[in-house]
Amino acid sequence: MTERMAQAGAEVLVERVSKSFGRISALREASLHVEPGQAVVITGRSGSGKSTLLALVGGLEQPDAGRVVIDGRAIWREPHPARARREVVGFVFQRHLLLETLSAQTNVEVPLLGAGMRHAERRRRALELLDEVGLADRAEHVPARLSGGERQRVAVARALANEPRLLLADEPTGALDSVTSERILDLLFGLRDRLGMTMILVSYDSAIGARADRTVTIVDGLIHDHDAHDDARASAS
Amino acid sequence: MLSIIVTNLRRRPTRTVLTAAGIAVGVATIVALLSFTQGLQESASGFVHLGGSELGVFQANVSDPTTSVLPESMVGRLRRRPEVAQATPLLLIVEGIKRDPAAVVFGAQSDGFFTKQLVIVGGARPTSWQTEALVGDRLAAQLRLSPGSTLDVKGRAYRVAGVYHSGILFEDSGAVLGLAEAQRLIERPDEETNVIVRLSPGTRASAAARAIERDFPGTQAITTPEQALRAGANGTLISKAILVIVAIAIIVGVIGVMNTMAMSIAERRGELGLLSTVGWSPQRVATLILGEGIAVSILGAAGGLLLGVIGGDLLVRALGVSSYVSPSVTAWGLGRGLLVGVAIGVLGGIYPAWRVTRMTPLKALSGT
Repeated sequence: MTERMAQAGAEVLVERVSKSFGRISALREASLHVEPGQAVVITGRSGSGKSTLLALVGGLEQPDAGRVVIDGRAIWREPHPARARREVVGFVFQRHLLLETLSAQTNVEVPLLGAGMRHAERRRRALELLDEVGLADRAEHVPARLSGGERQRVAVARALANEPRLLLADEPTGALDSVTSERILDLLFGLRDRLGMTMILVSYDSAIGARADRTVTIVDGLIHDHDAHDDARASAS
Repeated sequence: MLSIIVTNLRRRPTRTVLTAAGIAVGVATIVALLSFTQGLQESASGFVHLGGSELGVFQANVSDPTTSVLPESMVGRLRRRPEVAQATPLLLIVEGIKRDPAAVVFGAQSDGFFTKQLVIVGGARPTSWQTEALVGDRLAAQLRLSPGSTLDVKGRAYRVAGVYHSGILFEDSGAVLGLAEAQRLIERPDEETNVIVRLSPGTRASAAARAIERDFPGTQAITTPEQALRAGANGTLISKAILVIVAIAIIVGVIGVMNTMAMSIAERRGELGLLSTVGWSPQRVATLILGEGIAVSILGAAGGLLLGVIGGDLLVRALGVSSYVSPSVTAWGLGRGLLVGVAIGVLGGIYPAWRVTRMTPLKALSGT
């Protein structure tokens, strides 16, 4: 898997994107450029528009204005947005969103099923991914029999199933204790380092920014872009 | 996909079982009615070929062929026709035997071919047609009659002279009296219900029927079971009622599945949104929903087929027509039941599946 996934990350271009929900303006002419392979942390207060930006980047929602382009493809405008998502993007959410009645292995197989992969190949890949996140021995367990951290690791394995060039994580540690959160972040950033995919991670915890290449702050729908390492260096001095 | 469908159905076992039960009742109704109509058709076939005849002449436009009235003089005129080899009159008495109201009593001439073709399997032919009767082997078994015992018809006792077998359900479930005695018994002298006809060699039944109807206005000559079913208003009514019941069963089944699937979607918006998020196309998600609808319908249909086979027999007994009709379960009848079950699943799943394709992933995810 590692060899297969060792391909360049995706380039993400967000151009003057606006999005409103009713009267609430979630994003206002937001622009962002993420280089292939970069790890970007988006921070901001609750309701600032972080998750909306992530949803727009992932093609889960259509922008009211502006455009989002991933490696030259505007996912939402593709004839088959779901296929485009499957080919480019992997998602990890705050809540693991695992299917409760399915085993860890079958949960990881779900995106592969959507891709029409054959049963034996699906099974082999799912086990490989579970091994990657350190849960090979939990393959047959349903989510209820896994700890919070284990569930999130299964969710990470699921996100990696289709070998995404862009990994989007929305508050992936928001529901976890601090020790487990560190392990999940280690896992995510370790995978990014090894596999080379682009990663955009949303978090209210700006400290996570120290692990990333860049930190982007959203305030009331407006993006403030700055380099994380500059901030870290500034804090240190 | 199949394993996910099965898992999802097992997630809410009570709901799945109740929905399947609703479909089972619908399919059972359809199978029972189809086996009833098939039995009716087979009985009608026997009705057409009473006494081994090729056609039967009845009064036209009657509510039921058994209520037909023809003048006794008609049989002589029929016998003189070149296309007719033999003709013999019958007077049918329904509800004449109290212990089995569904049994038909045939008033027949002792020297007519109807009586002559009966194979006597016990006792002998009557020596006095005024006081003696023949009973069919099915009726004899049902009422425990044997030669020498007494058969009560319309309040009058007849000695059972013999037991016959003809191979025709109607006849074997009934009894035979002399025609004159039957006419006297129900006070219809010089009348008969129908005339059964054997045709001359080389004569086509349909052509003969048309000629007879033309030359005897007010009569209908029945040559096929379908005609027999259509001949009476009651038969037509039954066929139409069955159609309506089948339609109602389908509609109720469809609404049941639709309701179940719609509830399931409402509860699983987040899950369906997740499938879309991880790259399932709307069509694939819709297929999952449709698949669940069809799976629960097949489950219901399987139960329904079993219930229907039992129900067909119960229906015939409940209607008190077991002497006329023996429910007939055919592979095609079961196949139609199964098809209806699957159709219920498809039709019931289409709308919920369509709704799924209209959800955006983000909105669906927000439903978690």
